[in-house]
Amino acid sequence: MLDPLMRDALLYGNLLSLMSLGLTLTYITSKVPNFAHGSFVSVGSYVTLGIASIMGLNPYLSLPVAFLVGGLSATCVYAFAIRPIARRGGSLVHLMMATLAAEAVFSGLVNAFADFSQETFKVFSRSFTLRSLDFTFLGDPGVLVSSYILCIILLGSLYLLLTKTRFGVAMRATVENPSLASVLGVNADLVYSVSWFVSGGLAGVSGALLPLWIQTSPGTGTTYLLSIFCASVLGGLGSMLGAVAGGLMLGIGEIVVTGYLVNLLGFWVIPYRPVIPLVIMSLTLLLAPEGITGVLAGQARRRA
Amino acid sequence: MLPPELLFLFDLMAMFATYLILNLSLGLEFGFGGIPNFGKVLFVAGGAYLVGGFTGRFASALVGISGLDFMKNNSLVIFMINERLSSDLLLSLTIFVPSILLALVVGAVLGYIASLPAIRLREDYLSMTLLSAGEVVRVFGHNYEGLVGGSLGVQVPDPLMWAGEYRFALASLIMLGFAMLVWAYVDRVGKSPLGRTLRAIRDNETAAEALGKNVTQFRMRTLVVSSAIAALAGALYAFYTCGVVATTYSRMWWTFWPWLMVMLGGASNSTGIFVGSLVSATVIKVINLYKSHLAPLLPFDVIWAESMLLGMTMIVMLIRRPEGIFPEKPQVTSGGSVGATTRNETTPSWRVV
Repeated sequence: MLDPLMRDALLYGNLLSLMSLGLTLTYITSKVPNFAHGSFVSVGSYVTLGIASIMGLNPYLSLPVAFLVGGLSATCVYAFAIRPIARRGGSLVHLMMATLAAEAVFSGLVNAFADFSQETFKVFSRSFTLRSLDFTFLGDPGVLVSSYILCIILLGSLYLLLTKTRFGVAMRATVENPSLASVLGVNADLVYSVSWFVSGGLAGVSGALLPLWIQTSPGTGTTYLLSIFCASVLGGLGSMLGAVAGGLMLGIGEIVVTGYLVNLLGFWVIPYRPVIPLVIMSLTLLLAPEGITGVLAGQARRRA
Repeated sequence: MLPPELLFLFDLMAMFATYLILNLSLGLEFGFGGIPNFGKVLFVAGGAYLVGGFTGRFASALVGISGLDFMKNNSLVIFMINERLSSDLLLSLTIFVPSILLALVVGAVLGYIASLPAIRLREDYLSMTLLSAGEVVRVFGHNYEGLVGGSLGVQVPDPLMWAGEYRFALASLIMLGFAMLVWAYVDRVGKSPLGRTLRAIRDNETAAEALGKNVTQFRMRTLVVSSAIAALAGALYAFYTCGVVATTYSRMWWTFWPWLMVMLGGASNSTGIFVGSLVSATVIKVINLYKSHLAPLLPFDVIWAESMLLGMTMIVMLIRRPEGIFPEKPQVTSGGSVGATTRNETTPSWRVV
């Protein structure tokens, strides 16, 4: 059995790395920071609520459904907001505004679903956890193990997709040089749609695991947005590997630092946890705006 | 007693004035300067929190209330202050004026701090930092009870107690006066050399830099000034509603709505911002009026329908008419002193996109 603080830290680190990987994926393909990313996490959490609490099935069955629903939500944002605005020559600020608007739409939807399921099915849909439905593994909650397995499977398949398939190579080519890739017959639009789908799917899956351990509300995903941004910036915002590393580092760091401060100062510090990612993000931007990967690449260049 | 229709109009006027001030500050930084401030709520809350946390304590010290904890006995303390204020015009002013000035300072300082990490970087980094900072401000307001009473909120002394039943009407007029001052200021900046410099930076940063403009300095100063103006809006709103509750300072109300209004009217000219604010404030008030009729028809809270609708409106606007009702026109320079001929010469024949 693990130390409770370490257990929380590892679980949060795993989930955060999936979330920030998704954010980075859409950032490197369509060059827009997706402010709606947190709401895809919430969508995933409420898919789990629907499957486990309302339909009474095993909560782990929600994983593929959450991937699909989260992915489709993200694809909708791309197809109905990002693509038309970009086609009309909208600026970066317009695109960012559109993702903020999408956040409003999805948080409205998730909240409406929460109200609706509370009214109709009489289930707790705000500040709910499904811990009692989870299994235990060697005294640890099952979600810790399953989040590890999920992380490895998802990262592995994404790696295989990007390196071993024709489509993955086309995706990377589009990231490097969209117009050249289009000239060579790559369907850039399809590449963007797929990257948004995968990004939303990753967010949905990580959201689906949240209620198994953490109290979840419709706004939970949005409150994580800060940490997701910070993790991606920490990782360099241009590198998927960096996003995973940044997510793990920030996720573990955030919990451990909060736990340490609770011991030092008392429980009143807990609500101030969002200050940690803000401070880390500010420091990263001030000291090394290109993030971990940028610093490592710089060192490698100097050595060469 | 004033008739309810008139009260509705005055309430609408106050809301319009609050948002006009806020939107003008957004127009200044985004419309002219191109700074995507997605953390407007931070600066509005800064001004409002100052009025919530400072004004009451300041007033209770002036009135000489002792032996009562300001937060624990908040209603009683404010009641006692308001008793005194109802007959003392000078004391009311002594409370109001320093609060407003300090709110401006708080806004400016917050603007400076928030601009530090990312003002030199690309606009996406800047917007992410500002948005994150805006999320954190609510954490402080909600949890640190010494600031604005935590989740319970705090009452604010009313410097217009002496006006009796005309209090709300007078408050609305004063707010409109402030809004007109800000409007005149932003309009003037827009037509001044400073406004042209900001537009130059917005449209082509490298070219502006090559012409010797210190881009970072200009951006930072713009953010400081516009944040001070946003804090003014927050402070006035807190005085108007006689209270500050941390939860009401949400991203939806104080970041998203202002952006929607500015995009609707047109961000780069004061006319567009004026019209956008007026239309939107009216829409908000009318929605509020009919919300209760809609509630029984929906299986969920009406605010979520409102949120979805607003998001979709924004997206449709961004696709259909991103430049707003009043697109940016070729610029007119201010001042008749320039002379008619030079004015024609300086007006470019091409359209600024």
